[in-house]
Amino acid sequence: MANIVEKWKKFREPGYFGKFDYHWGMVIDLDRCSGCEACVVACQAENNLPIVGEQRFAQNREIKWIRIERYWEGEYPDTRLTFVPMLCQHCDQAPCETACPVFATYHNQDGLNTQIYNRCIGTRTCAVYCPYEVRYFNWFTYEWAEPLEQQLNPDVSVREKGVMEKCTFCIQRIRQAKDHAKDRGGDKRVRDGEVTPACVQACPTEAMVFGDFYDPDSAVSLAARSDRNYRVLEKLNTTPSVVYLRKVEAHG
Amino acid sequence: MSAIDRRDFLKIVGGGAAGAGAGFLVKESSKARREQYIPYVATPEDFTPGIATWYKTVCQQCSAGCGIEVRVREGRAKKIEGNPLHPVSQGRSCALGQSALNVLYNPDRLREPQQRRGERGSGAVAPISWEQAYTTVAERLAAIRRAGRGDRIALVTGTTRGHLHDLQEILMGGIGSDRYLQYDFTTPQTLLAANQATYGRTELPYYDIANADFLLSFGADYLSHWLSPVHYSIGYGNLRQGDRARGQIVQIEPRMSLSGANADRWVPARPGSEGLIALAMANRISGGAHGLSAYTIERAATASGLEGNVIAELAEAFAAAGRPLAIAGGSAAHSTNGTANAAAVNVLNSIAGGAVVANPDPVIGSGADQRRAAFGDIKQLIADMSVGRIEALVIADTNLLHTVPDSLGLRAAMEAVPFIAAISPFVDETSAMADIILAPHSGLESWADDVPQPGVGLSTASIAQPVVAPIHDTRAYGDILIELGRRLGSDMAEVLPWDNGYNYLRARWREIHETRATALNMDFDTFWNNVLQAGVWAEDRKGPPLPAPAVVLDPGDSGGPDEEYPFYFQPYLSQAWLDGRAANLPWQQELPDPLTSVVYNSWIELNPETASRMQLSDGDVVEVRSASGSLRAPVVVYPAVRPDVISMPIGQGHRTFGRYASERGANPLSILNDTTDRDSDTLAWCATTVSIAKTGEHVNLIRMSGTPRELGRSILGPYGEGGKPAPHSGEDEHHG
Repeated sequence: MANIVEKWKKFREPGYFGKFDYHWGMVIDLDRCSGCEACVVACQAENNLPIVGEQRFAQNREIKWIRIERYWEGEYPDTRLTFVPMLCQHCDQAPCETACPVFATYHNQDGLNTQIYNRCIGTRTCAVYCPYEVRYFNWFTYEWAEPLEQQLNPDVSVREKGVMEKCTFCIQRIRQAKDHAKDRGGDKRVRDGEVTPACVQACPTEAMVFGDFYDPDSAVSLAARSDRNYRVLEKLNTTPSVVYLRKVEAHG
Repeated sequence: MSAIDRRDFLKIVGGGAAGAGAGFLVKESSKARREQYIPYVATPEDFTPGIATWYKTVCQQCSAGCGIEVRVREGRAKKIEGNPLHPVSQGRSCALGQSALNVLYNPDRLREPQQRRGERGSGAVAPISWEQAYTTVAERLAAIRRAGRGDRIALVTGTTRGHLHDLQEILMGGIGSDRYLQYDFTTPQTLLAANQATYGRTELPYYDIANADFLLSFGADYLSHWLSPVHYSIGYGNLRQGDRARGQIVQIEPRMSLSGANADRWVPARPGSEGLIALAMANRISGGAHGLSAYTIERAATASGLEGNVIAELAEAFAAAGRPLAIAGGSAAHSTNGTANAAAVNVLNSIAGGAVVANPDPVIGSGADQRRAAFGDIKQLIADMSVGRIEALVIADTNLLHTVPDSLGLRAAMEAVPFIAAISPFVDETSAMADIILAPHSGLESWADDVPQPGVGLSTASIAQPVVAPIHDTRAYGDILIELGRRLGSDMAEVLPWDNGYNYLRARWREIHETRATALNMDFDTFWNNVLQAGVWAEDRKGPPLPAPAVVLDPGDSGGPDEEYPFYFQPYLSQAWLDGRAANLPWQQELPDPLTSVVYNSWIELNPETASRMQLSDGDVVEVRSASGSLRAPVVVYPAVRPDVISMPIGQGHRTFGRYASERGANPLSILNDTTDRDSDTLAWCATTVSIAKTGEHVNLIRMSGTPRELGRSILGPYGEGGKPAPHSGEDEHHG
């Protein structure tokens, strides 16, 4: 036990994440986001998210690694609506990671908050600890009606009953880009723009930017310097890797 | 999928030739359902286990014509992205486009031709062979043709552009019938009619949203399904946070659409009053010139229910903008004065210098516009069918019965047609009426070509190529037309001299190549391959300048609710299901509506005040009654709809449309009155009025949403800052 506490202390050293190879992150511009949900279907297609069916959806058993939240303001006729794409924030100080009794969720060498399906025993503690409510539990083993299974992405595991899952920042695409970079020689690092998660690639308003925050000149670092930047639930000190850009106040 | 146990798998992999690995012939086994797994001796050149191949093609989910590229692994399509080289989609895509994979791999897609087994409309079918199917259809059609009544054979298709449209013309010409119509509920008939009236061109111009700085949308939901949503969404992003100052957007519509939710200002005008608003603005801007003096702000204010100063302010802002743009859709385009409203918006654009550019004539498939069925054509067809003047009907991939109001009696008229053949990938309401259903390839398995409409102001064309081998025993649409045609008589071989659709397409592109041989400076195969690889071909050919509007159609009074039917009924194209064609796609059924977050159902939207007056809350089922029919649907109390409006998404309410769509929700189009637009022969589908009555029933709507208000939780902006910019740049602190 003492050993674990020691490990935790080391793990929680301020700036511990500075030793990772990359700091993948995302900027979401709410002034561009139109709430069209292209990202939602793109994620479903890329990451083998199950079709849960009407009954399971009614029981809140749906699985959407990215969803569009909607927040209404004002009363008719001065009604306003803001859309907020919500996905795993890949917090540097992730509450979910401290909660897992079996270390199924942890930070990998890329600074990603990852979920090891084989290690997960399904306590669902991480989902309780997550303030963004972006973790989804497989209450069932879902099936794909033949021949829908032919669409499944062979680069992504199909999850079974009893494990937690969530957005991975399309880790399969990151892995592939790192593999290419490794073969390329030079500094063997992934260059800016070489990795695009499915949601970012689909987004027709180009509201999302993805890249490495360690690179000060990357598109994502530049975008994050906007004076509209903030993080959702910033006060909780989870230091998310997703930076949002506030919607510009409408006139009139 | 046949079961492969671990031992089998090891045998296959172990027994494979060096490097073949898991490259067994799954495609063949799934097609013929044989329990054999044969390792590739020589793998196809585009097939490397573990490495994806990308093919560029054209999305056929809606009629925008976006270029897409499809990721294929081991012969199966895995993921759709936008084609970065295509001027419409520019590497981007939409939810509906992504779901084309759900069409390809839909468990309810027909795997071979079918013969009807039950009553018409029951949906009971049984598979037959292609030979039987072709023979049956060809014999029926040939007999009619031989008797000299070829003109009693009708062909109704969905939106078909490019050379497939030409092929349909050739086939019907050979049959000797002029009854060839394209019916697509989403075709913007009134915009086309208005453009004919004001510009003298029945076409959609290019609306340059990306470079506008003030966008005024009269009900056009350009971020959802209006004309070319991916392209306009790209434009929206650019307008908001592009290189220039942030552009402003105002949306005038009775019910807040997705685009309305993204506007700076949402103005709930009375449906049908949009044209008067536009003309009052034009009048104000031009100072009464152009014969506009009758269109005063007072008149527009009375008609729309808006304050006069709101309209005056809009006019000032529109006139002050450097590149203003006004567009029309929704209730503006589909009230009884839809064409006049759209023409009024054209006038406003012309007077204020709106960012509208004419598209050049399409390089291929010209004339497809003339085949677009006006509502009157459909009514005429129904009348002819009812009295036996149609002896055979061929319907290709358009769900007439779901999108034509019940009051027209289409179902009964179809019952009276002696023989109906459908070319449809699914058993839907319409193909269920057919005696024979010919199962075509999905769009991702077929050859076709297309000119996107509306284009981007340039001459472009794309070739749609198959990205995977057919997974079922289906046939390409072009092959079906040619094969059927050639079986209609010995003379038809001259009319249709091509072996199959692919050769036909190549022959046609060869003609394009020949007429431009010098300019292209490459041989045909190189040209063809280049177009396939890029997914698009463009020429530097622009449309003519748009003339100043010569005609002003008077929008007048569009009518409205009365004592018996006190609400405007406003159906709208659903983000997930479009006009219903996508309701059988599981990803789309599980896609929460962007504004209400409802899944797997239909609903009506009520203003909170109306709901509270009628003591209705979320999930209470009401009966919506029009003069033509009634439906039942649960209520969603919606904070952004006029109190005199009931809005409802189109798309659900299918009787027969596979496991995901059948017997789910209600179809608002079924209860529409047979009301046409005043200036064009078009269904005015936003012009019906309804009453609602409580039924006492309640359903639990499935919604994916939490608390609908932010309540100071720092989700929309930093804590305690009231939405003001953060004082420091946070990422330095955390990532430095």
